[in-house]
Amino acid sequence: MASRRWMIWAAIAVAVAGVGYLVSRPAGPQGGVVSGDELASLFAGGARVIDVRTPIEYEGGHIPGAENVPVDQLPGAAGVWDREVPIAVYCLSGERSANAAGYLTAQGFTRVYDLGGGIGSWKGDLVTGAQAGDRPGAIATSGRPRMIEFSSDT
Amino acid sequence: MVDRLKQEYEGKVDFTIHLDGADEEGERIAAMIGVRYVPTFVFVNSDGSIKGTDIGAIGEAKMRQRLDSLK
Repeated sequence: MASRRWMIWAAIAVAVAGVGYLVSRPAGPQGGVVSGDELASLFAGGARVIDVRTPIEYEGGHIPGAENVPVDQLPGAAGVWDREVPIAVYCLSGERSANAAGYLTAQGFTRVYDLGGGIGSWKGDLVTGAQAGDRPGAIATSGRPRMIEFSSDT
Repeated sequence: MVDRLKQEYEGKVDFTIHLDGADEEGERIAAMIGVRYVPTFVFVNSDGSIKGTDIGAIGEAKMRQRLDSLK
Protein backbone atom coordinates (compact mmCIF):
# COMPACT_ATOMS: atom_id res chain seq x y z
CA MET A 1 0.00 0.00 0.00
CA ALA A 2 2.83 2.41 0.94
CA SER A 3 4.54 1.73 -2.38
CA ARG A 4 1.37 2.47 -4.32
CA ARG A 5 0.85 5.70 -2.39
CA TRP A 6 4.42 6.77 -3.20
CA MET A 7 3.81 6.12 -6.90
CA ILE A 8 0.69 8.27 -6.85
CA TRP A 9 2.56 11.14 -5.22
CA ALA A 10 5.38 10.78 -7.77
CA ALA A 11 2.91 10.95 -10.62
CA ILE A 12 1.34 14.06 -9.14
CA ALA A 13 4.76 15.68 -8.73
CA VAL A 14 5.65 15.02 -12.37
CA ALA A 15 2.34 16.41 -13.53
CA VAL A 16 2.80 19.57 -11.46
CA ALA A 17 6.34 20.01 -12.77
CA GLY A 18 5.11 19.59 -16.32
CA VAL A 19 2.41 22.18 -15.89
CA GLY A 20 4.95 24.53 -14.31
CA TYR A 21 7.26 24.05 -17.26
CA LEU A 22 4.54 24.84 -19.75
CA VAL A 23 3.41 27.90 -17.84
CA SER A 24 6.84 29.44 -17.35
CA ARG A 25 8.30 28.30 -20.69
CA PRO A 26 11.83 28.20 -19.26
CA ALA A 27 14.76 28.47 -21.62
CA GLY A 28 16.38 25.18 -22.48
CA PRO A 29 17.58 23.10 -25.38
CA GLN A 30 14.12 23.19 -26.91
CA GLY A 31 13.63 26.93 -26.57
CA GLY A 32 11.59 29.15 -24.30
CA VAL A 33 11.71 32.64 -22.86
CA VAL A 34 15.23 34.05 -22.57
CA SER A 35 16.91 37.10 -21.09
CA GLY A 36 18.95 39.61 -23.03
CA ASP A 37 22.19 37.94 -21.93
CA GLU A 38 20.90 34.54 -23.00
CA LEU A 39 19.87 35.99 -26.33
CA ALA A 40 23.39 37.32 -26.83
CA SER A 41 24.77 33.84 -26.16
CA LEU A 42 22.33 32.29 -28.59
CA PHE A 43 23.31 34.85 -31.22
CA ALA A 44 26.98 34.11 -30.70
CA GLY A 45 26.17 30.43 -31.13
CA GLY A 46 24.63 30.97 -34.55
CA ALA A 47 20.98 31.50 -33.74
CA ARG A 48 18.88 33.49 -36.13
CA VAL A 49 17.48 36.58 -34.42
CA ILE A 50 14.24 37.99 -35.79
CA ASP A 51 12.79 41.39 -34.95
CA VAL A 52 9.06 40.91 -35.50
CA ARG A 53 8.17 44.58 -35.15
CA THR A 54 7.26 46.87 -38.02
CA PRO A 55 9.99 48.25 -40.31
CA ILE A 56 9.53 51.71 -38.79
CA GLU A 57 10.08 50.36 -35.28
CA TYR A 58 13.05 48.36 -36.52
CA GLU A 59 14.60 51.36 -38.22
CA GLY A 60 14.29 53.31 -34.98
CA GLY A 61 16.63 50.93 -33.17
CA HIS A 62 17.22 47.19 -33.27
CA ILE A 63 19.59 44.55 -32.01
CA PRO A 64 22.67 44.47 -34.26
CA GLY A 65 22.40 41.69 -36.79
CA ALA A 66 18.72 41.03 -36.22
CA GLU A 67 16.57 40.46 -39.26
CA ASN A 68 13.32 42.36 -39.60
CA VAL A 69 10.38 40.13 -40.37
CA PRO A 70 7.17 41.72 -39.07
CA VAL A 71 4.96 39.20 -37.36
CA ASP A 72 2.33 39.41 -40.09
CA GLN A 73 4.96 38.45 -42.65
CA LEU A 74 6.25 35.42 -40.79
CA PRO A 75 4.07 32.90 -42.62
CA GLY A 76 5.47 34.07 -45.93
CA ALA A 77 9.07 34.19 -44.79
CA ALA A 78 9.49 31.30 -42.41
CA GLY A 79 8.38 28.64 -44.85
CA VAL A 80 11.84 28.33 -46.33
CA TRP A 81 13.85 28.68 -43.13
CA ASP A 82 15.84 25.77 -41.74
CA ARG A 83 13.78 24.41 -38.86
CA GLU A 84 16.83 22.99 -37.12
CA VAL A 85 18.59 26.34 -36.74
CA PRO A 86 17.89 27.99 -33.37
CA ILE A 87 15.71 31.03 -33.82
CA ALA A 88 15.08 33.87 -31.39
CA VAL A 89 12.35 36.46 -31.74
CA TYR A 90 11.72 39.76 -30.05
CA CYS A 91 9.42 42.76 -30.28
CA LEU A 92 8.71 45.82 -28.17
CA SER A 93 6.96 44.28 -25.19
CA GLY A 94 7.04 40.54 -25.74
CA GLU A 95 3.46 40.12 -26.91
CA ARG A 96 4.05 39.89 -30.66
CA SER A 97 7.16 37.81 -30.18
CA ALA A 98 5.23 35.36 -28.00
CA ASN A 99 2.75 34.94 -30.83
CA ALA A 100 5.61 34.58 -33.30
CA ALA A 101 7.31 31.98 -31.12
CA GLY A 102 4.08 30.05 -30.86
CA TYR A 103 3.64 30.15 -34.60
CA LEU A 104 7.19 29.02 -35.31
CA THR A 105 6.93 26.20 -32.80
CA ALA A 106 3.69 25.05 -34.40
CA GLN A 107 5.45 25.10 -37.76
CA GLY A 108 8.01 22.61 -36.53
CA PHE A 109 10.95 24.81 -35.58
CA THR A 110 12.79 22.80 -32.99
CA ARG A 111 14.45 25.53 -30.94
CA VAL A 112 12.48 28.76 -30.66
CA TYR A 113 13.46 31.40 -28.13
CA ASP A 114 11.51 34.48 -27.12
CA LEU A 115 13.17 37.54 -25.59
CA GLY A 116 11.10 38.04 -22.45
CA GLY A 117 9.98 41.62 -21.90
CA GLY A 118 10.85 42.69 -25.40
CA ILE A 119 13.71 44.79 -26.69
CA GLY A 120 14.00 46.59 -23.35
CA SER A 121 15.57 43.41 -21.97
CA TRP A 122 18.48 43.80 -24.36
CA LYS A 123 21.32 45.51 -22.51
CA GLY A 124 23.66 45.91 -25.46
CA ASP A 125 23.79 48.66 -28.05
CA LEU A 126 21.09 49.13 -30.62
CA VAL A 127 21.60 50.21 -34.20
CA THR A 128 19.29 52.32 -36.30
CA GLY A 129 18.42 52.19 -39.96
CA ALA A 130 16.59 49.96 -42.37
CA GLN A 131 17.41 46.29 -42.68
CA ALA A 132 20.03 46.75 -45.33
CA GLY A 133 21.51 49.71 -43.51
CA ASP A 134 23.59 47.41 -41.37
CA ARG A 135 25.77 46.71 -44.35
CA PRO A 136 27.80 49.29 -46.18
CA GLY A 137 27.27 50.03 -49.80
CA ALA A 138 24.65 51.48 -52.03
CA ILE A 139 22.77 50.21 -55.02
CA ALA A 140 23.28 51.69 -58.45
CA THR A 141 20.41 53.72 -59.81
CA SER A 142 19.65 55.62 -62.99
CA GLY A 143 18.95 58.69 -60.90
CA ARG A 144 15.45 57.50 -60.20
CA PRO A 145 14.28 55.39 -57.24
CA ARG A 146 14.19 51.65 -57.75
CA MET A 147 12.06 48.75 -56.67
CA ILE A 148 13.95 45.48 -56.85
CA GLU A 149 12.08 42.22 -56.54
CA PHE A 150 13.83 38.96 -55.77
CA SER A 151 11.57 36.24 -56.95
CA SER A 152 11.51 32.65 -58.01
CA ASP A 153 10.90 31.49 -61.55
CA THR A 154 8.94 28.50 -60.30
CA MET B 1 0.08 43.58 -59.70
CA VAL B 2 3.77 44.41 -60.01
CA ASP B 3 3.51 44.60 -63.80
CA ARG B 4 0.64 47.04 -63.53
CA LEU B 5 2.47 49.23 -61.03
CA LYS B 6 5.57 49.09 -63.19
CA GLN B 7 3.61 50.68 -66.02
CA GLU B 8 1.94 53.17 -63.73
CA TYR B 9 5.23 54.33 -62.18
CA GLU B 10 7.17 54.36 -65.45
CA GLY B 11 9.55 57.32 -65.48
CA LYS B 12 9.25 57.69 -61.70
CA VAL B 13 10.52 54.41 -60.30
CA ASP B 14 12.64 51.78 -62.03
CA PHE B 15 11.48 48.21 -61.54
CA THR B 16 13.90 45.27 -61.60
CA ILE B 17 13.07 41.62 -61.05
CA HIS B 18 15.85 39.19 -60.21
CA LEU B 19 14.82 35.58 -60.59
CA ASP B 20 16.68 33.46 -58.04
CA GLY B 21 19.58 35.92 -58.14
CA ALA B 22 20.42 34.45 -61.51
CA ASP B 23 22.34 37.49 -62.73
CA GLU B 24 25.43 39.27 -61.48
CA GLU B 25 23.70 42.32 -60.05
CA GLY B 26 21.07 40.17 -58.40
CA GLU B 27 23.65 38.01 -56.73
CA ARG B 28 25.63 41.03 -55.57
CA ILE B 29 22.65 42.86 -54.10
CA ALA B 30 21.28 39.67 -52.53
CA ALA B 31 24.61 39.05 -50.84
CA MET B 32 24.93 42.66 -49.76
CA ILE B 33 21.58 42.91 -48.05
CA GLY B 34 21.24 39.28 -47.04
CA VAL B 35 18.29 38.16 -49.13
CA ARG B 36 17.42 34.69 -47.88
CA TYR B 37 13.99 34.01 -49.24
CA VAL B 38 11.67 35.03 -51.99
CA PRO B 39 9.85 37.11 -52.72
CA THR B 40 11.81 39.95 -51.19
CA PHE B 41 11.18 43.51 -52.28
CA VAL B 42 13.89 46.12 -51.90
CA PHE B 43 13.02 49.79 -52.15
CA VAL B 44 15.91 52.04 -53.13
CA ASN B 45 16.05 55.83 -53.11
CA SER B 46 17.49 57.63 -56.12
CA ASP B 47 20.79 58.12 -54.25
CA GLY B 48 21.18 54.34 -53.92
CA SER B 49 20.32 54.19 -50.25
CA ILE B 50 17.92 51.47 -49.25
CA LYS B 51 14.65 52.80 -47.92
CA GLY B 52 13.41 49.44 -46.75
CA THR B 53 12.67 45.84 -47.56
CA ASP B 54 9.62 43.64 -47.46
CA ILE B 55 9.77 39.89 -47.22
CA GLY B 56 6.96 37.77 -48.53
CA ALA B 57 3.95 38.75 -50.57
CA ILE B 58 2.74 42.29 -49.96
CA GLY B 59 -0.49 43.92 -51.00
CA GLU B 60 -0.91 46.61 -53.59
CA ALA B 61 -1.70 49.30 -51.04
CA LYS B 62 1.50 48.63 -49.13
CA MET B 63 3.49 48.45 -52.34
CA ARG B 64 2.14 51.83 -53.40
CA GLN B 65 2.93 53.28 -50.00
CA ARG B 66 6.49 52.05 -50.29
CA LEU B 67 6.90 53.35 -53.83
CA ASP B 68 5.44 56.73 -52.97
CA SER B 69 7.82 57.07 -50.03
CA LEU B 70 10.91 56.82 -52.21
CA LYS B 71 12.93 59.96 -52.80
